Amino acid sequence: MYEGSISVIKIRNVLLVTVPPDPDDELINQLQERVLQILDQSKAKGVIMDISTVDILDSFFAHTLVETAKMIALMGGRTIISGMNPSVAVTATQLGLTFGDIDTELDVDSALDRMEASED
Amino acid sequence: MITISVKEWERRKHFVQFEEEDITRLKELLPVVEKQVDKVVEQLYENFEAIPELSRILHAEEGRLEKLKRMQRAYFLQLFEGDYGSDYLNNRLKVGMAHHRINLGVDWYLGAYSMYIRLVMPIILDHYKKDPAKGQAAFASAIKIIHLDQDVAISTYLSAREEVIAEQSEEILELSTPVVQLWDGIVAAPIIGTLDSQRTQLFMERLLQTIVDTKSPVALVDITGVPAIDTATAQHLIDTINAVKLLGSTVVITGVSPSIAQTLVHLGIDLSDILTRSSLAEGLKVALKQLNLVMTTKGA
Repeated sequence: MYEGSISVIKIRNVLLVTVPPDPDDELINQLQERVLQILDQSKAKGVIMDISTVDILDSFFAHTLVETAKMIALMGGRTIISGMNPSVAVTATQLGLTFGDIDTELDVDSALDRMEASED
Repeated sequence: MITISVKEWERRKHFVQFEEEDITRLKELLPVVEKQVDKVVEQLYENFEAIPELSRILHAEEGRLEKLKRMQRAYFLQLFEGDYGSDYLNNRLKVGMAHHRINLGVDWYLGAYSMYIRLVMPIILDHYKKDPAKGQAAFASAIKIIHLDQDVAISTYLSAREEVIAEQSEEILELSTPVVQLWDGIVAAPIIGTLDSQRTQLFMERLLQTIVDTKSPVALVDITGVPAIDTATAQHLIDTINAVKLLGSTVVITGVSPSIAQTLVHLGIDLSDILTRSSLAEGLKVALKQLNLVMTTKGA
């Protein structure tokens, strides 16, 4: 029933992933599954996960994002998280949630620019 | 506005040992003071008017003097009317607020009260001149209620001041964390004073919001105005920087003075992952470089 809530769009060599504002754990698990599958099928070089719609980010979601990024790296791809809300960033910092070495960008535009720059 | 609960009022009355017999004694004096009230009030205001500062306040608006005299008369009589419950308390609170409104300082208030006592004392002692012991007791009762009045008045003064202080602290908090856009894609935030957790919260929220609103990849946080840095402040800075990173933006800490650099190293605070520069100007150069911008002299 949640299938339609996550969108994974391929733009040239990049997958753009968007999530609904308040994803539950099941949906977050699906997110990982789908992104990796589509990455495998599409032979994309990188993934941009746009979380600009997300107002509340819990530790499970944060953990899954980091985990997925690591898996993408293992498959030879690059991950950029874009559009994090200021309130989400404040909470994440206060909770001590770390996103490891994942690259972050202000919005999808700049994330695409960065992806392109790294392909050259 | 200040309120004193009835319970608190009773506690204060109990402390000055204001008891039933005081009420009886004061009530007994009512017919005596009623005859003298006009004289006392006139004398009091004659004294006030002799002082230029007070005279200015008394004549600040048309009819104020007459109004004040009327209020003074009622106030004086109420001291002896025998009802010292919540109505009395509320009336006294209003008197305190009125003094505050016309900007009459607590020093004038207390000074005036001393005149008051000197005018009331002979009336009471004169009335009981055949029974000096009773006169003394009645005077003591008057002193108690007068003291309680002063107590309430000073409480209102203090609370009015505290309100002002609270408002100002809030304003300072607002003023002290500006975040400004310096260039397309560059925001700057000068920090003045120390960063406590409350300020950090406000500062962080503002900085992050401005970064998102202006889509700025670089933020310059200037600590020239931070007199000293401790581990807590440093941790707050690091938290802020981490939050900015999550947004996809970079922070450059600027204005790192020699003494702050020394403190940071001595405290063992590791800022090696963070871009730091000694001045805001140097920080701006770093920011421009990151944005692939070049500034040149015209015609050069």
